[in-house]
Amino acid sequence: MKKNERKLVPPGLSYIADNIRCRDNILGLPVEARAKWAQGLEFSSDRSTIFFAGCGYQYSSMLEPLVTLVRTADRMSINPDLPVVLAGIPKKMGVDVAGMYSKVLARDESSDSGVLRDAVSVLKYLGVNTAYLGENEPCCGAPLYHTGLQREFAANAEKAVARFRSLGVRKIIGIVPSCTYALRTLFTKAVPGYDIEVCHFIEAVAKKVKPGQFRYPGNIKVVYHDPCQLGRYMGLIDQPRQVLRAIENVELAEPEWTSGEWSTCCGGGGGFEVVFPDMSQKLAEGRVRELVDTGADIVATQCPGCLMQLKSGLKALKKDKIEVVDLATLLARSMNTK
Amino acid sequence: MSISKDYRKELKDAAGSERIRLALSRAIKSYRVNTNNALTKFPHTLKMAEEVKLIKEASVQHMAELARKAGHNIEENRGKSYVAKTAGDALKIIGDIVGKGRLVVKAKSMTAEEIRLREHLEEAGNEVYETDLGEFIIQKLGQRPMHILSPAIHVPREDVARLFSQITGQKLQPDIDTLVATARELLREKFFKADVGISGANVVSADTGTLFLIENEGNIRLATGAPPVHIALVGMEKLVPTLEDAFKVSEVTWRYANYTVPSYVSMISGPSKTGDIEKVTTYGVHGPKEFHVIFLDDGRTHLAKDPVLRQALYCLRCGGCLYECPIFGLTAGYFGDKYFAGIGAVWAAEVTGNMEKAASMAYTCLTCGRCRVRCPMKIDVPEMILALRKSIAEP
Repeated sequence: MKKNERKLVPPGLSYIADNIRCRDNILGLPVEARAKWAQGLEFSSDRSTIFFAGCGYQYSSMLEPLVTLVRTADRMSINPDLPVVLAGIPKKMGVDVAGMYSKVLARDESSDSGVLRDAVSVLKYLGVNTAYLGENEPCCGAPLYHTGLQREFAANAEKAVARFRSLGVRKIIGIVPSCTYALRTLFTKAVPGYDIEVCHFIEAVAKKVKPGQFRYPGNIKVVYHDPCQLGRYMGLIDQPRQVLRAIENVELAEPEWTSGEWSTCCGGGGGFEVVFPDMSQKLAEGRVRELVDTGADIVATQCPGCLMQLKSGLKALKKDKIEVVDLATLLARSMNTK
Repeated sequence: MSISKDYRKELKDAAGSERIRLALSRAIKSYRVNTNNALTKFPHTLKMAEEVKLIKEASVQHMAELARKAGHNIEENRGKSYVAKTAGDALKIIGDIVGKGRLVVKAKSMTAEEIRLREHLEEAGNEVYETDLGEFIIQKLGQRPMHILSPAIHVPREDVARLFSQITGQKLQPDIDTLVATARELLREKFFKADVGISGANVVSADTGTLFLIENEGNIRLATGAPPVHIALVGMEKLVPTLEDAFKVSEVTWRYANYTVPSYVSMISGPSKTGDIEKVTTYGVHGPKEFHVIFLDDGRTHLAKDPVLRQALYCLRCGGCLYECPIFGLTAGYFGDKYFAGIGAVWAAEVTGNMEKAASMAYTCLTCGRCRVRCPMKIDVPEMILALRKSIAEP
């Protein structure tokens, strides 16, 4: 590197990094907002195995309007760097950011945090009991790493691991791909002596699933979209397909050329959606085209970012009849249907 | 301002262009089909690529030594060899050989593009013709290349017809055969009138001082064979120890560039010579009398010391990654500096020294990693991008 300038970091990414620093989550939401999704669910009191909820699913209902906002700004040729948008433009456009925050806080069950409830009940159904740390769950800090703040990421990881250890955590079942990748691979590099076992929800399910346990209510054709960090980064390509094949009434379709390790990114990778909102939307539409060309009724995936992107792509292409569903939700719908 | 305004606008305009989208989606489809066929017909390529990766890893650690050895052998073959520390040194060496008021025919070379060789020679008062068809189109359009192998990948036939009609003064139809024949006619006499031919090289074997040049059009054969002087500009990362290594590198390169086999591979080790009259060796028979090879460092030795970023030097320039990059599929070479897409950010930061562009590109990369799946050298672009971002965010 011949010359270094910190000011070259896109503001949208610095904004997310600041939120992790100050509030321990990507959107800077107050701590009360966390764990709301889990109200009424029963968890194991043995914290040796925990379910790690992460930020993405909890806050995606919040992120969606924000991303729509920056996209609108980008289309209007207003610089889409987030802090700028947050500073004044939303007001001019009649969008009340503070109100959006409170709406999210008030909402009991937002669509994507339902995925977390679905995942927990699927695990239970298969006999996998987990604890949940709730307000004590640390942020994995993955966006820090992807922004380039890797020393800060390592410091955050140290803190997180200390908390896991103090709470007696030995094994983590993750659900957000980027959190799971961070906890599994990046933590190992960042924290010496790190020995917590980390697996993804789909691995836990694939290990337990037996024929006849899941049956979708009605015949459907499902195309699976591999999230980059789950497929290419963690190599979890066979497991979701094995699980999908185990659901009765589901016909699995694959896009030509672009499945598994060749899957096309939804356009939400590495914070891209806040740096290039308009291009990110185009990528989402392109990926949706590849997926719906299979003639599927349902696009299944397992990533809050991909869910958001693919929904946005489908909406733009006016493919109203096709549904984007998280694999956890698809499984939850297929339980106890015999 | 993090992402430069001009770059953001360029990308946005490109992403909004239906023409680029159409041209690229066709190109991507045919690349995948052709490469799949080539790899199915020659399945040993996968194993060979692993071997080539080891060859490149070892060679990049010894570039200076390999350049010395290759240079020694080229001189023994009666060629001239040079090592240029910087782009400026390379321009000076080549400028001095060419002189001014000369007619120059050029084969396509990314390394020449990197140091803006054509522009330099033109500014010095020479007439320079790009002879690769795509590059010729780009030169005449006054644009910059949009792909390392197919520089005019974003230009549809209608635009080429309009351009060639302007050049020839005839009304040409957008018929590809006609357009190709027109280019042939326009360039044919230039090859034979040229004072100097300039090329790059895909790989160089140090033990014999042999340049390997892979092509399909035949322009490289003519540009390096017809003029009395041949100058080759070669990045030092193209050096490998032996002829056998160079054959392997070549085969893997063209296979991942979607060819079962290219029409031509030229191996050039020295000037043209004969001993047919009384066994007296005489130089410059039908081919060039002079053969000059310039090995370019320009940051490569420095780059080779970085444990992560050095992977950029293993690149064979097959162009496969570009077809798998979702951003490239939307914007073509606008996601680029001299080199394109994620790996291009490393070249921008380390070799051409365009840090602002490098940072913009580093944050344009999705880090989705599909390029790595395609890459015969398994270059981990996301890993390099994250290393670049680290050096930007935590200097």
